[in-house]
Amino acid sequence: MDLIDAFLASGIRFTTPILLAGLGCLTTIWTKDLNVGLEGVMLFGAFLGVVIGLTTGSVGLAIIYTLVLAAIAGLVFGYLITVLKVNVFVAGIVLNIFAAGATVYLLRSMFGVKGTLSDDGIPGVAKVVIPGISNVPVLGPLFSGHTVLTYVSWVLVVLVFIAARRTVLVRHLKAAGEHPAALISAGGSVVRMRILAQVWCFVLCALAGVQLSMGQLTLFTEGMTSGLGFVALAAVIFSRGRVLLLALMCVGFGFSSAASIVIDDSVMPPQFAQMIPYVVAFIGLVVLARTSKQGSTRIATPVMD
Amino acid sequence: MSFMQTRPIKVAQATGLRTWLATSTGRTVVTSVFIIAVALVTAVILIQVQGYEAFGTIGAGLQYALGSGTSIARTLAWGLPLYVAALGVAIAFRSGMFNIGAEGQVYAGALAAALAGAYLGPMFTGLHLVITTAAAAIVGGAIAAGLGWLRAAWDVDEVLSTLLSNYIIILFCTYLATGPLRDPGRQSGTTREIFNSARFTEIMPRTGLTWAIVVVLLACVGTWWLSERTIVGYRWRMTGESPGFATAVGINVKRSRILAMMTSGALAGIGGSLLVTASQGRFWTEIGSGIGWDAVLIALIARARPIPTIVWVTIYCVMRATARGIEQVSTVPSELSLILISVIIIAAAAKSGLFARIAALHTRFSSTKGR
Repeated sequence: MDLIDAFLASGIRFTTPILLAGLGCLTTIWTKDLNVGLEGVMLFGAFLGVVIGLTTGSVGLAIIYTLVLAAIAGLVFGYLITVLKVNVFVAGIVLNIFAAGATVYLLRSMFGVKGTLSDDGIPGVAKVVIPGISNVPVLGPLFSGHTVLTYVSWVLVVLVFIAARRTVLVRHLKAAGEHPAALISAGGSVVRMRILAQVWCFVLCALAGVQLSMGQLTLFTEGMTSGLGFVALAAVIFSRGRVLLLALMCVGFGFSSAASIVIDDSVMPPQFAQMIPYVVAFIGLVVLARTSKQGSTRIATPVMD
Repeated sequence: MSFMQTRPIKVAQATGLRTWLATSTGRTVVTSVFIIAVALVTAVILIQVQGYEAFGTIGAGLQYALGSGTSIARTLAWGLPLYVAALGVAIAFRSGMFNIGAEGQVYAGALAAALAGAYLGPMFTGLHLVITTAAAAIVGGAIAAGLGWLRAAWDVDEVLSTLLSNYIIILFCTYLATGPLRDPGRQSGTTREIFNSARFTEIMPRTGLTWAIVVVLLACVGTWWLSERTIVGYRWRMTGESPGFATAVGINVKRSRILAMMTSGALAGIGGSLLVTASQGRFWTEIGSGIGWDAVLIALIARARPIPTIVWVTIYCVMRATARGIEQVSTVPSELSLILISVIIIAAAAKSGLFARIAALHTRFSSTKGR
């Protein structure tokens, strides 16, 4: 029973960053500027959260500053891909590799450490224990004892779901991707919508990073996102822009990541256990391509002419 | 002197400059100057922020990278695997196949070469090197061909499948190197040391520059020739530029995609094998150290052309060695080179948009003034 409880608790824990990043990326698939740089933004978010948390000593400030910086970065990224016409795929791939290099650079030049930044002064995001159900098996680990960000992520699922059905804003975002001419004649700005989608994406991915470095742990390690951003990207591509399906995919990936820490070394080598989410995503990709009528979703790649 | 000031000639000079700027050489020069300026400004700012005098520090770094024959050899030696891997990524990009899985293919190639070098032999050196390199090429090529087949036959998006394959392959290699194939004589996760017959010998002592340079030259010339001078290369390029057109003129797009991916993976695998046979002597769990990712960046900045790819690898080698040199005389981390190459790619991609924007602002400004 303990093992199942541990599995459920870590499943929810692992779902959070994937879900946050997935919800962020969702808007960019609506505007048809799929951002493949999730991994990089998460890594920056994780780094900035820890650094700001360490210098200010406050979780709240760390989250607020990180999100503000992410929004500014999102504006710059959005400006690059819209006004300056940088290919969004190229920008995203470069962003991922850049983040890996830049966080190491900053870690070494600011703190003189290589590898891991860990300090007692790094504050952690508060965990919410719901009295009454925290000791109930199954329900307890599912609903209690998680960080605030976990609850935020589920509230966001509901909000985005409602927004996707009822708000003009989301309709404008989708129009910017599917039918720009219609948006213009309705008086909207395509460029503004596309930039807005990127800002939202950056803010949520940064929050996902904060969850990794200050929610699950209180430290920063080089490359600590280890492909979670790509798993979130896979979830977004599989869900084709539908919110609830996306949430379901993220839960699936979260629990398959959780399996890797619950599975004992005697069952299978740790590397195979760590492979599970990637293998699940890979198989999902193949299955999707085989079963869906429109064929698989293509990531818009540039022509190298 | 006075004829210079007469109006007609001045106009002629201006239009001469305009037309020159519009030629491809002119554009290349403008782009290069712009890129160099952006990179230099970034480097100067980053070094100054750390509290060092920028140009002196860069000079010391360049001295480290290119100061003597030995240092040039050392700089070049580090880049040898990258030449091959970057050409591999470029040839796939050119064929419209976005092989972002080079890092995984580098690892797989390195492991294959390390196993062929340690478990076969000892034997005649030349033969052994051919076997290790071929083993790496086959493993890397098979992985990429499989992913290419999934894209060509089942329309499985290759960007995501190659991205995910990196993690699966690297974890699998880590499992082999820390589990069943671990060198029992060592603590960390490495495979057994390869036989001396599977090692390239050094051209210059203590520089790490080996005869692997011959393999690299062959790969460079071969890839350029294949891509730019053969019918197969033409078919691949057409497939990349316009699959619809390629199908219409009777090119087997499916076949081109699979073969291009196979070649790409084989080259990335050879890049990995050089890490083992030309320097490390065994596989260990972090042997790739990101050269697959460097290869992706370089293929992007070179717009997947073979000759620009070779030029950019050379530039990147010098940048990296300079960053290493800078690290030795200051506290500026050597990741500086990775930051600069990323800035360069974005600057190059944003250049035309930026210039158009400036031109538009200029027109607006001058027309307001005229009114």
